[in-house]
Amino acid sequence: MTLFSPRLTRRAVVGAAAATLALPSVALAQAPARIALVGPLAPDPVAFQQALAQFIGSATPQAEGLQLDIPVLADNPSAVPIKAQVTLPITDQDWCEELMVLAELNPIPLACRIRFTADTGTAEAAVRIRLSQSQAVHVLARMKSGKVLAGKQTITVAASGCGM
Amino acid sequence: MSMSKPPRVWVSNENPKAGEILRVRAQIEHPMETGLRTDPATGQIRPRHILSHFEAKLGDALIFVWDPGTSIAQNPYIEFTFKARRSGQLHLLWKDDQGATLSASKTITVS
Repeated sequence: MTLFSPRLTRRAVVGAAAATLALPSVALAQAPARIALVGPLAPDPVAFQQALAQFIGSATPQAEGLQLDIPVLADNPSAVPIKAQVTLPITDQDWCEELMVLAELNPIPLACRIRFTADTGTAEAAVRIRLSQSQAVHVLARMKSGKVLAGKQTITVAASGCGM
Repeated sequence: MSMSKPPRVWVSNENPKAGEILRVRAQIEHPMETGLRTDPATGQIRPRHILSHFEAKLGDALIFVWDPGTSIAQNPYIEFTFKARRSGQLHLLWKDDQGATLSASKTITVS
């Protein structure tokens, strides 16, 4: 009597064991263990893409000219400081019309919209947002000339700030 | 309950030189209820109650508008800058989605 079927050789068993051991470590290296949020705190990727597409329109976003001051690690997910400044020259002919903050994985991704006018003379703002989980925060700015600036920063949070 | 305490407002310089960049920091008390939370006592969703609009004017000129969403933190804090081109009253106005308003003003005298 044989314990193993002919196809289940020692080599196959060792190979399978190695594969199961290797897989979780690869997955861990790629992304930190994260429990997908469900229910009211579940992300809304459709709303995120819509808000992004609507703001960008037909423009090609550029990274230069938008300076972000956003922490990598948020010690308090209920109030994460987000600061953005357009460093392109702000003139009477070309100023920043609108700025948008998007939290990619929040249940309602659009955190806020900010509008400047020709009378502002600058384009800088800081707010505090709450994050439901670790995620990328996107900031976009649209100039009067139609130029769109975009930047993002991945923030790691210890706990969810949306249920607080 | 909400929007009853006066706003806290800080302006970097109320007597700036013409063209100076002024920084404004302002905060109000507001629950910023997302409408996503369940009240553990009743099992009911707590209705959304957020600050939905903020604007700043220097005299009659609108200089800054902020439309917060549910992701903005409780007791919303806003900071912005503007170029002081002329003297005038800096009017700050907050409105929430239940119609309550708060306002504050600072006198900016450009020399």
